[in-house]
Amino acid sequence: MSATTITTRPDARLSAPGIVRSEWIKLRSVRSTVWSYAIVVAASIGIAALLASTFGFGEQIPPAELHNGIIVQAATFGLYIGQLVVAVLGVLVISGEYSTGMIRSTLTAVPTRLPALAAKAVVLFVSTFVVGLVSVFGALLLALPILAGYGIEADFGDGALLGNLVLAALYLGLVSLFALGLGTILRSSAGGIAATLGVILLLPTIISAVIGITQAQWAMDISPYMFATAGTGIFSPGGPLSQGENLLVVLAWVAVSLVGGALLLKRRDA
Amino acid sequence: MIQAEGLTKRYGDKTAVNDISFTVKPGMVTGFLGPNGAGKSTTMRMIVGLDRPSEGSVTVNGKAYAAHHAPLREVGALLDAKAIHTGRSAYNHLLAMGATHGIGKARVNEVIGLTGLESVAGKRVGGFSLGMGQRLGIAAALLGDPATLILDEPVNGLDPEGVMWVRQLARHLASEGRTIFLSSHLMSEMALTADHLIVLGRGRIIADAPVADILATSTRTAVKLRSPRADQLAQLLQGADVTITTTEHDALTITGLTAPVIGEAAAQAGIALHELTPVGASLEEAYMELTQDDVEYHAGTTPTITEEAAR
Repeated sequence: MSATTITTRPDARLSAPGIVRSEWIKLRSVRSTVWSYAIVVAASIGIAALLASTFGFGEQIPPAELHNGIIVQAATFGLYIGQLVVAVLGVLVISGEYSTGMIRSTLTAVPTRLPALAAKAVVLFVSTFVVGLVSVFGALLLALPILAGYGIEADFGDGALLGNLVLAALYLGLVSLFALGLGTILRSSAGGIAATLGVILLLPTIISAVIGITQAQWAMDISPYMFATAGTGIFSPGGPLSQGENLLVVLAWVAVSLVGGALLLKRRDA
Repeated sequence: MIQAEGLTKRYGDKTAVNDISFTVKPGMVTGFLGPNGAGKSTTMRMIVGLDRPSEGSVTVNGKAYAAHHAPLREVGALLDAKAIHTGRSAYNHLLAMGATHGIGKARVNEVIGLTGLESVAGKRVGGFSLGMGQRLGIAAALLGDPATLILDEPVNGLDPEGVMWVRQLARHLASEGRTIFLSSHLMSEMALTADHLIVLGRGRIIADAPVADILATSTRTAVKLRSPRADQLAQLLQGADVTITTTEHDALTITGLTAPVIGEAAAQAGIALHELTPVGASLEEAYMELTQDDVEYHAGTTPTITEEAAR
């Protein structure tokens, strides 16, 4: 075996687009990503079909002003499952690197560290947002003809219909970022997934239980600010907070999670 | 060129690396030796910024590793063969690593060819043997065509052909003027590969010298002999630089005298010898001697080198 021929590449240097490209290659080249996104799309479309065909309106067709709301609900209902899958994926994107030791390769290539996390966030967010769009618009296309059979017709003249569907996809993207931050903080798949699902699923349930049992005012006050409560409020209006306020609440959760992860990533030994 | 100044790493109250300073020069292979837990891997991790030094600093080619515009071009590091995502193929791993620096498919295929991974490049790393993992780690280290190469236990898990290949690669890269810093627990391997040795024990540098010097200074040739009148012979041979150890009632181990000198002395005194065997010096013994001293120094226990050798 001959030793080596080395060609020089003086042009090679660390760059932001390069790091983003690297994270994109990483995201698309593991099976968990493909599976997760496939489940998100399938759940979204499947549940929309199921929901649309089982809506029990009887003889009475709901008034026209409610039609768009019903359509958004049918098209986004699958995201209640999709958000959990995306949460798991968001954690795995970083915790998988810690569990396999890959993080040491990553941080050797990007020793300033934060650009690596930022690139992960960008790639994960954009991918998840696009998958969210495919999910909700796929669900919409499937639900529309079924609902039309009940006499429920979409009014595309109202920009809120498409706008809310885009916001639903945006929420899905934000879930992945929130999970990425927690995964970076906890560095473990089990811990990160437990914490993220705990915040998304368990926390609102606990608050509701506290309200139900004690009628405590503080619990009622904080209830709208729970991650998933505010999150679904981004694309389904009618809650105590406006859609814009809900978006700000979710962005605050995401910021705390990502900034916490970034600070620890920068400080800790890898 | 790697330069460490007063490098120290503490984990809680345990000091893994204790105020070490050294220079790894270009154009040669520098071996990094030490028993398990001596702080070799910690030192190497600090060089590439994975671990933050508690005190002191280390630079690569004049700058902190993270301050370079193209870190993978400055340093290629194999720190842990398992620092690779098990769910990704070798090819995609290299492609992702290279992408950070704009290093593309051509170079990825080049290092795959260099490390003999063509047949498994498309397979997921999770199914790799330790040897293939090492080759992939070395491939990743070579991606940026680096001026400095840091290899932590590179021959671990490699077959004899692979060991030979790493040795040739290290020597070849050093001959091109690169800085090669590699750790190994195989002393015989170091004797063949390294020009210079830095020996670490309990977080401190015990020796920092050319391999030839370490062999010459710290190893003393020993001679084993058997004689029915061993006690008499021992008295006869006593001298300032001579150490005589009695292993059995008729056997001696002597350092400080050569076999011919002992044989002549015995003949003149009319003492019969049943055995007279020079025991060859090796880097391994030199190393054991060095680290044994260190263990002795720190733990304050009794075994001396001569007793150890006689066992």
